[in-house]
Amino acid sequence: MTDPAQSQHVELRIPSQLLYLGVPDAILMELAGDLPASQKEIDELSTSVIEACTNAMEHGNGMEADRFVEIHFEFSPDRIDVTVLDNGCGFDHEGWRPPTDLLRERGRGITIMREFTDELLFDLLPDGRFRVRLRKNIAPAD
Amino acid sequence: MKIKERKRDGVAILELGGKLMGGPDAIAFGDTLKTLIHEGSLNIIVDLGKVSWVNSTGLGILISGYSTVKKNGGELKLLNVSDRIESIFMVSKLHTVFVSFSDEDEAVQSFA
Repeated sequence: MTDPAQSQHVELRIPSQLLYLGVPDAILMELAGDLPASQKEIDELSTSVIEACTNAMEHGNGMEADRFVEIHFEFSPDRIDVTVLDNGCGFDHEGWRPPTDLLRERGRGITIMREFTDELLFDLLPDGRFRVRLRKNIAPAD
Repeated sequence: MKIKERKRDGVAILELGGKLMGGPDAIAFGDTLKTLIHEGSLNIIVDLGKVSWVNSTGLGILISGYSTVKKNGGELKLLNVSDRIESIFMVSKLHTVFVSFSDEDEAVQSFA
């Protein structure tokens, strides 16, 4: 059981195959359940992490199964931080704009992550890996 | 993703289960819709009640299906959209595109 008074760190490394997208979701559902987070907050963060991992697999690692996506979870009493790393060179996240055509089939991942997290940061590490950092603050229980 | 198909009062109901996330899901869903359209089944309900989550690629699958059915003169509506999936529809504004129901009787009757 997660001790709500202490931070817990969990690391995960998954192949770039869509079937593994359920693993970070399962970890969040299992471990965040011990924190004073609402189901809505956990769902929103998990949906965002799934988006970040989908991007990492598709755009960062080119869906090559032998290239891995690394995911770090930091569970704290008042927030959950998740870092997603891939081997790609990133994308122009500053110039990115949401699709204006509602029937466009792609391009909603960043909108979803931005709407569902309290902080969303993208950067390229000196070792060449692309990093996405997602933070979800947990509202204090009533 | 699993797809279970049934018909009720001339309406095709596709019950999806599992995770809607792209890859082979897109092909399976697209093929099922093509077969229905070929058979002349143009009134289609997609039941998302057993879908645990959907990502943006999965949203693309639903949009593609919606557009394909519409181009062929039919309608694709949604049934049993969970709170988790509904919130994704809201932030991506797709709630303004898809008609959704929480009651199967109402969904079927909406095609009458």
